[in-house]
Order: sequence, then C-alpha cells, then structure tokens
Amino acid sequence: MTRVLEVKGMKKYFGGIRAVDGVDFHVNKGEILGIIGPNGCGKSTLFNCILGQLTPTDGEVLLEGKPVTGLYPSELNKLGVSRTFQLLQVFPTLSVRENLILAGQEHQGTKISRLFGRGDAGLTDAANRMIAFFKLDHLADQKAGGLSYGQQKLLDAAMAFMAGPKLVLLDEPAGGVNLTMLAALKERLEAINREQGATFVVIEHNMDFVMSLCSRVVVMAEGRVLAQGTPAEVRADPAVVEAYLGH
Amino acid sequence: MDQFLQLLVAGLATGAIYALAAIGFTLVWQTSQTINFAQGEFVMLPAILALAARDLLHLPFWAAAILATVVFLLLFGLGFKRFLVDPMLKHGVLPLAIATMALSILMKEGAKDGYSAQAAQFPSLVPEGTFSLLGAAVSLRDVAVFVVAITAIVALQLFVTRTRLGRTMQATAQNPTVARILGVRVERMILLTFLINAGLAVLASYLISPIYLAKFSNGEVIGLSAFIAAIVGGFNQVRGALAGGFIVGLVDNLAAAYVSSGYRTAVPLGLLVVFILFKPEGLLGRREERTV
Repeated sequence: MTRVLEVKGMKKYFGGIRAVDGVDFHVNKGEILGIIGPNGCGKSTLFNCILGQLTPTDGEVLLEGKPVTGLYPSELNKLGVSRTFQLLQVFPTLSVRENLILAGQEHQGTKISRLFGRGDAGLTDAANRMIAFFKLDHLADQKAGGLSYGQQKLLDAAMAFMAGPKLVLLDEPAGGVNLTMLAALKERLEAINREQGATFVVIEHNMDFVMSLCSRVVVMAEGRVLAQGTPAEVRADPAVVEAYLGH
Repeated sequence: MDQFLQLLVAGLATGAIYALAAIGFTLVWQTSQTINFAQGEFVMLPAILALAARDLLHLPFWAAAILATVVFLLLFGLGFKRFLVDPMLKHGVLPLAIATMALSILMKEGAKDGYSAQAAQFPSLVPEGTFSLLGAAVSLRDVAVFVVAITAIVALQLFVTRTRLGRTMQATAQNPTVARILGVRVERMILLTFLINAGLAVLASYLISPIYLAKFSNGEVIGLSAFIAAIVGGFNQVRGALAGGFIVGLVDNLAAAYVSSGYRTAVPLGLLVVFILFKPEGLLGRREERTV
C-alpha cells in the first residue's frame, strides 16, 4: 500500500515545553486517518509542523516518499496538500462558487492566462460539481459571509477538495457544528473518500465523530503517540482509557 | 430652480471626482490598513507633472499627460508602496500614517518649488460649453466629468467583481493568510491596488484641474473631501465611497451657494462629525472588528 504521508520523529519544542516529542505515523492512500487526544496534547502543533506553518525542532515529513519538511504552506498546496481551518476561513464577500474557483485557480494555467485568461479559470464546471456534491446548490450564488456556520464549514471542506489534492488535512471539522450538519458533513466526507479515493487526516476532539468516520486512529497524549490502530483497537487500549478517563 | 439645477450638476461632477479619490482611500485601506494622508496631494500632483513636462520638456500636451501618468504610477504607485508603506508598516499603522503626512508636505512644497506657486490653467480633456436642461444652462464639462468618472468607477467595480484578478484581489483584502496558502501572490495583489489607487488619482487630477486650476495647494481641500467621503460612505466599501463622494460634492456646492462660500469646507466637516458620532461605520460600511 502506498504511503501518501509519512511523519518520522517529529519534534517541536517551545523553550522547555515539548509540545510534540517524537511522533511517527503514516497515512495510506485512500485512508481516513484520525488524530485525537486531549486538549493541549500537541495535535495542532503537529498539524502546523506538517503544514509548514511552524518549523519543526527535529523530524521529517515525506509526501509520497519525497521530503517536504519545512516547505511553505503555499508550496505544499501546489504539491497537492490542502487543509481546512479550525476557525473558519472562507472569503465572505465572494459567492460560494467564487470561493471554490479561487481555491482551485492557482493550480490552473500559465502566467499569461492568469492575467488574460477566462475569469473563471475554466473551473466553473468543477465548482458546480463540488457544489452539487456538498449539496450547496441552493446557495451557489450567495455570498459566503451570509451562510450559517455549518454551511460555511461544508464550503470550507469543499474548498479543500477543489484542487484535486493528494491529501487533505481537516482541522477540527466538527467544532461548533450542530448535529444535523455534522451528520451531513460526515456523510459527504465518507462519500468523497469512497467515490474519489480521497485521502485525508482529521484532527478532532469529538470522539464519536472520529471513531465512526476514520479507518485508523492515532491517539496522542503529552506530545507523544499513545496508541494507534483501528477505532475498536484504540478504544480497548488501557492506556487510552486512562488518558481519557483518568484513574 | 435654474441655479439649483446647475449646482446639482456641478455637485455631482465634483462629487464623482471626490469619489475617485475616496475609492483609492478604501482600496489601500482594505489591502494594507494604510490611511494615506497624502491622498489629496496624489490628486494635485499629476496635473502639475503634466504641465511641468509640457513646459520644461516642450512636449505636446497629450504626450506630457501620458509621460506624467507613467511617472506618477511608477513613483506613487510602485514607489509609494515599496519605499514608504512596506518599510513603515512594519512599525505599525500610526508611524505609517505620520509618514504619509510628511509625504503630503513634501509633495506640496515640491510642486510649489519645482513648478510654480501660481495657479495654472489646465487644458480640459472634455468639451467646454453649456447646454440647456429644463431651462437651466448646464455646463457640458460638468456632465462629461461626471460621465468619465462614473465610467471609470463602474469599470473598476466590474473588474473587481467579475474577473479572476479582481476576485483574487478581494480574497487578498479579506484574508491574506489563507489567500497566500491557496497560492495567491499576495504581494503582487497589494501592489496592484496601489497602482489602481495611483491611476484613479491621475484621472481625478486631470478631471478636476481644469475646474479648479492646477495649484500646489489643491490637495488640501481634495484630500479632506475625499477623506470625509470615505468616512461618510463607509471606509470598507467601494459603493460607500461612491455615495460619500456624491454627498460631499453636493453638500459642498450647495453650501457654497446658499450658506457662505467662506464656510463651504466647514459644512462637509460638520457632516463628518455627525457621522463619527452617530454612524461611525458610515452609510454602507460594515462594522469592523479586529483580532489581535
């Protein structure tokens, strides 16, 4: 099985604080990997180190076997790694469709066509397909700023898949989303994984969401990997039970 | 009634020019949180540059105007961003604001010393004369100025909302971090807004100078009016700047005729105070919250 992403010996220290302290894991092609752990266990720091928003103290990130450690987020995006944000980051005055086109456009065309090419960069059809896939049809021409929080989360997820990425990292997709919208989001993520073989990593607090969505789970505590395996294996691991429930 | 109609047309014409300068304010504000206190001088200088090029280099007027436009775009679009905004913004918004005040003095005094302390005739780019509208003699020039300015604003609006580059510009203004991650060349987009601002200033300059004559001190009134227009309309909206420009232009012209020409600039200032007290986000603006 090909490994899309491999993280080896990742460390990030802030002064004396070992936020991430030697983490190894990998993501197989077509898999949904969950990373969970209590607050402050280093999940987000790990994410930011992988995505080039923080420089790791030590460790290596491989994308399809090639080292990409320390590349800028925009360079990783070009190589096919996209992400969503814990706090929403859509462009409020652009419509839903325009947001999607924007998310894909810098992967299209040449320098000349960027200046003089078609206004939609040839992406209207792709955007419409993504809108239909995430069931946002009735909102396609509305400004993203006017959408509900849950709808914006769906749009954010749709944007991450727009450029046909090799890997998508979802940062707390369930945070602040109501149960109905959460079910819709989960169902769409499962569908995009099943139908298009999309590979992604989900960082989440919400145990139920991760356990039901992911095929494999990495549990972190205090900057280290506590356990990894299928949701059932992880749930049965005494160390995990202790980290989550205490003695 | 005749006089009122004339004032109305004249007010809309100057209002449209104020709107050009006010839109420049809002564009630069949106992409780099810069308030350019030299905005009035930005509108004053291109006309002076064109006259200087004509007189000193003995160029025909059209060539001088083109040369002045190019020089101005390089110096006050590209150069303004590279050599003033970029280095100063690192130290915060206030040092940058003060630096633009210094720039305004430099431009004003430079125009006085380098060209002339006297007001100079500036050839009109649009036809002169009057025509009759509902019995009033309306200036053809006012109408033409209005049409040219509005065409420019509509074209800008279409560019920003309908084209790929414009969409990318909007994204840059709203969330530069994410835009950068998506591969947008954020720096280039910001530079583009500064160039557009300089271009609008050139257009405003060539439109207003035939009316008020080209003079080194023109920037004071224009800068203040454009600033008030931007505040009244809402600092973060192009539409707002347009509405604000018209309001200030109309109030300005009507006040000069019906209140007192000596106090004409005081009336828009009063408007500014009222808006800051009661509707600080402006007519069409959004309330802004900043995260730290």
